[in-house]
Amino acid sequence: MRCLSSAQSLGFHYNLKSMSQTSNAQSKLDSIKTQALQKMQAAESSKALYDLKVEYLGKSGQFTEIMKEMATLPKEEKPLFGKLVNEVKQALELAYSGLEEQLKKNEIESRMAGEELDLTLPAIERVVGSEHPVSKVTHEIFSIMARLGYSLRQGPLIEKDFYNFEALNIPKDHPARDMQDTFFVDETHVLRTHTSPIQIHSLENEKPPLRIIGTGSVFRVDSDISHLPHFHQIEGMCIDHKVSMSDLKGTISFFVKEFFGSAIKTRFRPSFFPFTEPSAEVDCTCPICKGKGCSMCKSSGWIEIGGCGLMNPKVFGFTSIEYPKWQGFAFGFGIERMAIIKYGIEDIRLFPENDVRFLNQFE
Amino acid sequence: MKISLKWLNDFVDVKDYFQKPEALAEILTKAGLEVEEIHNGARDYEFVVTGLILEKDKHPNADKLSLCRVTTGDGVVHQIVCGAQNHKANDKVVVALPGAILPGNFIIKKAVVRDVESGGMLCSLKELGLATESQGIEILPQNAPIGKAFAEYMGLDDVTIELKVTANRADCLSHYGLAREVACLLGRELRPAFDEKNLQLNSLSSQDQIQLEVRASDLAPRYTGRYLKGLKVGSSPDWLKRRLEMVGLNSINNVVDCTNYVMMELGQPLHAFDAQAIRGEKIIVERAKPGEKFTTLDGSELALTGDEVMIKDSEKSLCIAGVIGGKNSGVTNETVNLFLEAAFFSPMSARKSLRAHGLNTDSGYRFARGVDPEGTMVALNRATELILKVAGGEAFSAAHDVYPNIQKKEAVSLKVQTISDRLGYTADPRKFEDFMQRLGCRMEKISDGEYQITPPSYRFDLEQDMDLVEEYARLNGYDQIPETMPTLSMTPTAHDANYLLQRKTSEVLRAEGFSQSQHLIFVGTKAQMKFIKEPKILEHAGLSTSEMAVKVLNPLNEEQDSLRLGLSYGLFQNIKTNFHHGNAIGRLFEIGKVFHFSGPGNYQENWRLAISAWGLPSGLWQKNSQAPLVFEIKAAIEALLRSFHITSFQWEPIVDKGDVPAFLHRGQAASLLVEGKKIGFLGTVHPVILDDEKIRAPAALAELDLEVLFKTQPRVRKTQSLSKFPRIERDLALILPKSLKVGEVSELIHKEAGPFLISLQVFDVYEGDKLEIGQKSVAFHLVYQDKKDTLRDQVVSESIDKLLVTLKSKFQISVR
Repeated sequence: MRCLSSAQSLGFHYNLKSMSQTSNAQSKLDSIKTQALQKMQAAESSKALYDLKVEYLGKSGQFTEIMKEMATLPKEEKPLFGKLVNEVKQALELAYSGLEEQLKKNEIESRMAGEELDLTLPAIERVVGSEHPVSKVTHEIFSIMARLGYSLRQGPLIEKDFYNFEALNIPKDHPARDMQDTFFVDETHVLRTHTSPIQIHSLENEKPPLRIIGTGSVFRVDSDISHLPHFHQIEGMCIDHKVSMSDLKGTISFFVKEFFGSAIKTRFRPSFFPFTEPSAEVDCTCPICKGKGCSMCKSSGWIEIGGCGLMNPKVFGFTSIEYPKWQGFAFGFGIERMAIIKYGIEDIRLFPENDVRFLNQFE
Repeated sequence: MKISLKWLNDFVDVKDYFQKPEALAEILTKAGLEVEEIHNGARDYEFVVTGLILEKDKHPNADKLSLCRVTTGDGVVHQIVCGAQNHKANDKVVVALPGAILPGNFIIKKAVVRDVESGGMLCSLKELGLATESQGIEILPQNAPIGKAFAEYMGLDDVTIELKVTANRADCLSHYGLAREVACLLGRELRPAFDEKNLQLNSLSSQDQIQLEVRASDLAPRYTGRYLKGLKVGSSPDWLKRRLEMVGLNSINNVVDCTNYVMMELGQPLHAFDAQAIRGEKIIVERAKPGEKFTTLDGSELALTGDEVMIKDSEKSLCIAGVIGGKNSGVTNETVNLFLEAAFFSPMSARKSLRAHGLNTDSGYRFARGVDPEGTMVALNRATELILKVAGGEAFSAAHDVYPNIQKKEAVSLKVQTISDRLGYTADPRKFEDFMQRLGCRMEKISDGEYQITPPSYRFDLEQDMDLVEEYARLNGYDQIPETMPTLSMTPTAHDANYLLQRKTSEVLRAEGFSQSQHLIFVGTKAQMKFIKEPKILEHAGLSTSEMAVKVLNPLNEEQDSLRLGLSYGLFQNIKTNFHHGNAIGRLFEIGKVFHFSGPGNYQENWRLAISAWGLPSGLWQKNSQAPLVFEIKAAIEALLRSFHITSFQWEPIVDKGDVPAFLHRGQAASLLVEGKKIGFLGTVHPVILDDEKIRAPAALAELDLEVLFKTQPRVRKTQSLSKFPRIERDLALILPKSLKVGEVSELIHKEAGPFLISLQVFDVYEGDKLEIGQKSVAFHLVYQDKKDTLRDQVVSESIDKLLVTLKSKFQISVR
């Protein structure tokens, strides 16, 4: 391409000669062009090439000088001469851009040859923090239940006896209190032993129909290989005009499938909680062995995950909610237990220890 | 509680479950009586049989060993080497054959003992796990059979099941009670608890021997008693001991064992008094006087509240009724005459007595949950029969039975439709009638599908229609309940805003590289105060707190006796644990509640955020310059503030050293002001406490009041339009006194630089040789831009000139 354009330029040159009388300027033009092309083709770097471009075509370059000479030509020769000058300039510009592209390409190639990077070197780490498994599981459960219209509540951790026990149909001295070894702060205040007081606060402060999940810290006087004195629960309460055990079972079954996987089944067993009647323990197919039997489920294929039942009418009696105009169900799970089952955590004491090697696994 | 299957079989036929107790366990568990463990005694002594020593010789290679030829009735003569000395030919012995596994996982195999083959072991009671000490091997009586399974021979071939009886099912706290339930579940016949024909009484009157006066019939609605005389107190026969051992009770003496036996059999606790210890031949049942003292049989002295029912004689208290006996009136080996008590004490009084004195006895446990008031006399008779059988003597007629007010159960009315509605499937009235009958309820049909149900005297948990709905569900099987989805008939309400903001906080901090932690809220009062030293200082930093931590009345231990005042202490403890677990670097945060006492019955709970960082990344091949650790936390907090669209905040260095929290470096601490309000602190951990805990890494902490921060929310910011016009950038290197905080200079620049300054950055801080002592050089990068027009150079230059004039007038500043 470059050679071809040079040849074309030479052709013009010949025409110029034949068409006009020899002049000083014309021969100068001719020699400059030849000289420029030779030099440009010999340039070794894009920088040197650029310098040549400035030398010939720049503001104070040689062509500027030649244009000055044009003023001395006879008026009728001016257009032709001007045309010739422009043609030569264009030819040089064209030659320049062709040469520049090639030179720059070569230069980048040779630079890259010295810039090899070992991409097996470790990356510059951008650390993202991890979520504590208790929060993670809480939020997973929250997200599932929120789709069913449940709203989250937290409630105080230091509770009046009334909210933690009395209003949940656990009167003073009742043997049911033995089910929950209680931390006392004073005679009438306890560290809540379950999240169920949240139900009472909600029944007192909100109007049915209601769908509530209550979650947070709970406390029991218990500390050994499988118990923490401070652990977490999440529970749901649904209040409506007609609420049945089958609604409860359907809701829990939906939740269990969403949380553990669609193959996991739900089973109810009769049990006793003072605040529900009928009451049930909730078992699900052991997610570890899928019901075949393993150490987690003690070879039974089933694993206990929580408790539930229809709201005991006696509980409504402690609030201004009318029964049976309004009915309800409630269910609750231990967060740590859910996390242990879902994530295979081997020791409950890992939860409050917060060893970063443990935490980092929940990114 | 422990249930023996053989014992259960006395009242309901469960022989078919002896070989498959798991099946019975499944039925019970599905009925709400959860079986926690099954123990099959026969399997404990597999390959252990009774045998006869045919010959006994000396071991050819050992003086102290003998070589016995033993038959176990299987036609094989077993050669067994034995180390004991107390046996001879023709003795009946216990033989563990190869394959047996004795207690302690002691596996019996064929072995060679000093070149002689030995095919088993002759056992002592200790080796069989039946005694703590044994002198030699066990020699059985001459009439013992040969070749009988040892478990069967000893009556140990029983299955026991450990049952978790919920607080509402006191009626199942005995073998007879459980038999009643099993009969109901399996539709089998329940045998009578006791046959009156077996009771042998003399013609004399118990009432003439010991008088009875019940002064507290409200708390002791029924009281029965009988006089027995001429007993021989001693040890119990083996069958009695064994049954008690099976269900986890120790044998005491034959009389006490009989009362315990009846309690385990019928659920009725009894008490046996030595009649000679009853002064004035009179028993008085009355409420305790508040403040009255009573010494229990184990010697502890109790101050009574006045809620207890006391059993007294004419002089003194003998018992806290139904809960615990006193000193000097119980049965001893010298006891000859007996006053035997069976009563129904009200659950409420038993509960109060137990709770007031922190007691837990088998008897109190049952009374607190409810004992059958109609079973009192049956139990008294059954115990009488047993005592006569094992201790001899005679029992008197005309037992006391003070039962002025029959304990009636309230009738419950129920529509079958309610069952259908609440269970979510159609309940069958015929099934319902059948279930009620099997449960022992009295039933009155009011109309079609509507009933009046009177529960039996032993059921304390059937008080309302929903209780009967549960019984229907239970007996019909919970697996019959279908799964349906309730329809949503409401407008969903808002979530707790706090939770969503906590969540957002967590997300921002995680994006900043900090991991979430959650610690126990319990701390040791002393250890916490040692760390915080002066809670007031934290208050100055904007964290509401007090000197008074919330104390736990019944803590697990001294290290967990109060609730945390702040989160920093826990996070610092965590740095210690992590560092010593080999985690040289960590970035954590915690969102949690802290507590303080603010007056009687008034406890403050506040949500806080704390952030910790320790250790610097090491061994990186890219050599990045590392700012002090505390700036990482600062960056995370500022990211959080930005995410909450909070633009007005300041870091205020804590100038007064007395106001720096005790655990922070005195020269590296600041408090944070958000929109003019202090909300917490940030700082480097004090080098001395790091050194004390041998934490060989720099560490920093921050703690903020989240609730104040959350009060600024929600804050929705409108999107800003983007300027199309060019920016003008200028660098400004200033020399200023070392003591002057860069933050103050930045603040002034922001204020004075005019409307076109869109960004201000500090890109270099230099202190050193090239400057005079006491000076530092700080380089700022300023970016100007006009939103509506091309900004002219001259405008910026003029603005900077003006800025410099102001800076110089305010501070001792020069341009470098």
